[in-house]
Amino acid sequence: MTATAAPVNVTSEVVSGAERRAQRSARIRGIVIAALGLMAFGFASNTMASDVTFKFWIQEQGKAFIQIDTSPGILWILAGVATGLTGMWQLVRGPSMRWRLWLAVWLPFWVIAIIGSLLGGKTAVLTNLFSSTLEYAFPISMGAFAAMICERSGMFNIAVEGQLLVGACVASIAGSVALQLLGPDTGMIVGPILGPFVAALAGMGIGVLMAWLAISYRVDQIISGTVINFGAVGLTNFVYLRVLQGYTDFNKPPTIEKIEIPLLSNIPVIGPIFFQGTPYMYIGWVVMLVLTYYIFRTRWGLRLRASGEYPQAAGTVGINVIGIRYRAMLFAGAIAGFAGSYLSLHSAGSFQMGMSAGKGWIAIAAMIFGAWNPVGAFGAALVFGFADASQQLLSQLGVDIPPQYLASVPYVLTIVVVAGVVGRVRGPAMAGQPYEQG
Amino acid sequence: MRLELRDITKQFPGVLANDRISIAADRGKVLGLLGENGAGKTTLMNILSGLYRPDSGEILIDGEPRVFDDPAQAISAGIGMVHQHFMLVPVFDVVESVALGSEPVKGVARTFDRATARKRVQELSSQYNLDVNPDAKIEDLPVGVRQRVEILKALYRKSDILVLDEPSAVLTPGETEELFGIIRGLAAGGTTIIFITHKLNEVLEVADTITVLRRGRVAGTVLPNETSREELANLMVGRDVELTVARGEAHPGAVVLELKDVFIRNDRDEVSVRGATLEVRAGEIVAVAGVQGNGQTELVEAITGLRHIDSGHIKIDGVLVDQAKPRKVSDLGVAHIPEDRMRDGLVKDMTVAENYILDSYHREPYSSGGRFDRDAISREAAKGVQEFDIRTPSIQTHVGSLSGGNQQKVIVAREFSRPVKLVVAAQPTRGLDVGSIEYIHRRIIEQRDAGAAILIVSTELDEVLALGDRVAVMFSGQIVGVLTSDQATKEAVGMLMGGVH
Amino acid sequence: MGRWTPNFARLNSRRFGSLAIPILAVLSAFIVGSLFLIVTDIPALQLLFSGQPINFLTTALGNVVHAYTALLTGAFGDPARFVEALQEGTPEAWATAFRPLSETLVAATPLIFTGLAIAVSFRSGVFNIGGDGQFVLGALGATAVALLFRDFPAPVTLIASLLAGIVFGMAWGFIPGFLKARTGAHEVITTIMLNYVALQIVQLALRTDFMRPATGTEPISKVIDFVRVPQLIPLPGLRLHWGFIVALIVAAGVSYFLFRTTKGFELRSSGLNLTAARYAGMSAGGSIILAMVVSGALCGLAGAFQVLGTVKQMSNDVDSGYGWTAIALALLGGTRPGGVIAAALLFGALNNGGHEMQIETGIPLDLLTFIQALVILFVAAPELVRKIYRLKARSVDSGVALEEGAAA
Repeated sequence: MTATAAPVNVTSEVVSGAERRAQRSARIRGIVIAALGLMAFGFASNTMASDVTFKFWIQEQGKAFIQIDTSPGILWILAGVATGLTGMWQLVRGPSMRWRLWLAVWLPFWVIAIIGSLLGGKTAVLTNLFSSTLEYAFPISMGAFAAMICERSGMFNIAVEGQLLVGACVASIAGSVALQLLGPDTGMIVGPILGPFVAALAGMGIGVLMAWLAISYRVDQIISGTVINFGAVGLTNFVYLRVLQGYTDFNKPPTIEKIEIPLLSNIPVIGPIFFQGTPYMYIGWVVMLVLTYYIFRTRWGLRLRASGEYPQAAGTVGINVIGIRYRAMLFAGAIAGFAGSYLSLHSAGSFQMGMSAGKGWIAIAAMIFGAWNPVGAFGAALVFGFADASQQLLSQLGVDIPPQYLASVPYVLTIVVVAGVVGRVRGPAMAGQPYEQG
Repeated sequence: MRLELRDITKQFPGVLANDRISIAADRGKVLGLLGENGAGKTTLMNILSGLYRPDSGEILIDGEPRVFDDPAQAISAGIGMVHQHFMLVPVFDVVESVALGSEPVKGVARTFDRATARKRVQELSSQYNLDVNPDAKIEDLPVGVRQRVEILKALYRKSDILVLDEPSAVLTPGETEELFGIIRGLAAGGTTIIFITHKLNEVLEVADTITVLRRGRVAGTVLPNETSREELANLMVGRDVELTVARGEAHPGAVVLELKDVFIRNDRDEVSVRGATLEVRAGEIVAVAGVQGNGQTELVEAITGLRHIDSGHIKIDGVLVDQAKPRKVSDLGVAHIPEDRMRDGLVKDMTVAENYILDSYHREPYSSGGRFDRDAISREAAKGVQEFDIRTPSIQTHVGSLSGGNQQKVIVAREFSRPVKLVVAAQPTRGLDVGSIEYIHRRIIEQRDAGAAILIVSTELDEVLALGDRVAVMFSGQIVGVLTSDQATKEAVGMLMGGVH
Repeated sequence: MGRWTPNFARLNSRRFGSLAIPILAVLSAFIVGSLFLIVTDIPALQLLFSGQPINFLTTALGNVVHAYTALLTGAFGDPARFVEALQEGTPEAWATAFRPLSETLVAATPLIFTGLAIAVSFRSGVFNIGGDGQFVLGALGATAVALLFRDFPAPVTLIASLLAGIVFGMAWGFIPGFLKARTGAHEVITTIMLNYVALQIVQLALRTDFMRPATGTEPISKVIDFVRVPQLIPLPGLRLHWGFIVALIVAAGVSYFLFRTTKGFELRSSGLNLTAARYAGMSAGGSIILAMVVSGALCGLAGAFQVLGTVKQMSNDVDSGYGWTAIALALLGGTRPGGVIAAALLFGALNNGGHEMQIETGIPLDLLTFIQALVILFVAAPELVRKIYRLKARSVDSGVALEEGAAA
């Protein structure tokens, strides 16, 4: 019996249907985007007559500014050009084009144009819009990172909401205690460090609890996460009402101020947006870059991903999957708790009940939209942040849209993302399954 | 490295998996470990690779006792496992998969040194004739190549002792021959090899020594040139086994199942069945042979209404069922015994009675107007249990606590409890003990003699040859040959399975 | 994306051989709750730090006892009141005596409905966290229809409003169910998002002139005093209404539906093994949608009864986290209607008693939310409870199968 005929590889023979489908959706995307471009030109002709003013702070908020007087029509034309070009590029390049990235090219034009049209002649300070976006995006993206690390390792962390909340609470208490005990001078230095630190510890504690329950007692991770969210609300409300309301000294932490990065913050226009934020913002950038590197380039990242995709494969080559999962939950918990401290320390100045307001869930949505990688999650967080910042801007300017509409945007957007309307994404295959070796 | 396992014992709740097993393999020699499903082979190997600790007994490498608390220790002792179910992460590429767990790193951040790993993989690949593309993703690789990656994993870690667990289960006869070549090459180079299988021919061909396991014990150790297939089979099952079941003549009638030019896509949108054409008549058994992964699964799914077909048509009793739903197909009188009984056929946490009515609960007498008739259900279920000799404490027992054979009997009882025109059975005796296998085969033949058309899909060549009045072979999505019972010899079928036609 | 659903097979097939686990779970939760009470008892702590440990202990423990006593009398009634009622014999006295119990049952009513809703969804393998949104929209719908029909005879208005509540709830359950069936969108995310959207919808609706009261700018609706769910006990000032009885009847109905009908069988099979259910001919998408619709309907009905029978005025506060509590109830009750009722009564007692406790001792109600979370946790981790109390494990799987997994 000769065995010369090697089995034909089914995969390589035909242009697989998956490829054909990808090409088709790329084409549809291209057409849709190009059509949007045409629509933009249509809007442009309507709004050429009216005008709008945009202001940008040059180097420092509240001082010198650049003023751009334009009409929404011009903005729509720009939007049309950007969108149209993107659409054509999509049609040319096909499925290999990274269309999510290109959203960052044409979508901002659209948003600016829409805002311009809605302003009805008023003046909008766009610097604030962008810096608010970044600030809002911070807790979302950190929460997304936390959830992502866990899912990559094979665990679900849906208690991000609870970790944020508890982090906010203990950060405030710790910061206040530091301020009380150490006095205003030392307290102002120690407090802003102690607060986030304790918050990170609290987050880690929650993470370890969840990991312990899931690994040692096989409690379903969704249930334990839900319970922790539930319990966190109850606990923090309880602490607020019982202790913080009456003894307000426990809830007056030092506020973490914005820090300017020396040279960079002087860059015109860009400076005030990117380099005049709270330390949280800078840490956020760093965490994103470090995580990206770690997950995809290092040995730890490889093992992490193996634990999430196919833990048995990792176990049989001697990798300690359980250990990796515990460490992932710990690390993620620290990040989430730290992000929670932002909520109470950065400008609200204290802890309020229910502060997290669903940000933990939006963080998870950002993780999904970002396809389980840090840069994508950050981008998604920016989108959500932008929606929130726009809503604030519009209501500040007295634009007459019920705030409920814009407030719903992040939630509706999340549903749209999860329903796969903007493309299906695949998460770690074995996430959520208890790991059983042998 | 001389490897010895002495008096290894391992107890699981309710099952003594290994009972004082002693085996030995010398440097550069191939030890064939033979046994049927459930004999304790995999448990023994899991102990050897550090996944389990034995309750008692010892492992000796070159005369020195070793204890492995976890797989990492076994690996560093030089033991490499090539698992039956590949331990490969689908989204990783070959380099990452091979290096996982022993990755070269550089820098303070322990960056994965891909270049070094890749070079090593290529070196090993050419040294041992294991041809792979290092940058290919595992999920894009065919099964035979994936196995090479598994072997490379072991070689990457400088294993002196290589354990292969049922490696030929996913290979064509041709690929199996290639594998044997690789094994002989490795042995010649000094590697100690343990080759686990349940196939008599293979172990006779490649092993230097054969140890037979039966029900957790060593049934005997023989040399291949001093034994025979019959003796090995005897040792494997403990009694003189009839290697064929009395089938009797078939009297085929009208065509019941008709497949014409059927094209089907799988979940990854690849064409997995191309132009299948086949007929099954009443009163005959058509057995479809072929290595797993050549389109049989999708074909069965299409026939039973679980998958749509791209083109061609499928007719059951003259009725077109191309885009049908499972319920419509079963209403036509089709019985379906699925491949994976726990996943597809039974609800583990429901009772025997509930599983008995799982696919006909919506019909009389079990229910009417949407409401259940509990007495009728109990009655019928009890009848089924009796008739099919299902060993269960009661019909209210959860099906998950029955043995594999009895679980399969529940499915068979359910499917055969009403008159059927067509039986579609996929891997009907997978994982069953010999007694259950005989029972199921008998029942199938009974159905045939009662006039049903039977389509059996099986990767077990012996089963195919034993049951098939006609034997069809699937290869690469096509039906490459349909042989009569006389024409269907092992060699002929084997060649077709290997794509030679 | 990875499988975000709990292992429903384990959930739905778990049975409590005895009541030991739930009782111990509740006990343990209360103990932990007491610890938190003590730790946040600042006046008592001050005693400790000023060097009076004994006083600290007596004060702290005394406070705890005081709190739990208030809880109990608030939930079930004060024996002293009963004695008074026997002596005086007036309806008012009896009303006062029974009020705590009546309030407990009032609190339990929406819990029974929502607990059933989640139990049904769990049984079907769907995780409906959208109970709050479905509840709130059901209440909104009932209010709107009641206002619309206000000039009709009261029974007609009542029925129409209740139906509206059901329909609104069904719609809000249909959306995530449909999305999951068609696109695989995970119901955990979609239902939670829809909760938030529901809140926004209610806010918007409450700003319309149709719903707003004549004066005032708060987001509440006009008072619905022209139609009411009939009172159950003919004593003055007791709020217990027929909604409670309806809840019990509905529970029986759900039990019948799940265990005696073919559709219920389909839901349960899908919940335990979706693949096998498909192979047996059941429609996976259909089961998902049916489960979510039924679940939503029950929550919507709960909201309707709450607004029409208990609160009588629509606002965002009509819902106090019933959706989440319902998950606890479903788990505690072993996803069985009988168990859900028992759990609902327990939680109703806790919530009601908690109000009393808050009034008397100033301890925030949220302590009970926390305790409830602990209860679920302990119930979901029975091995933990067993370990703590050194109970022997019941042999759950007698007769381990000789599967190839274990022995080959």
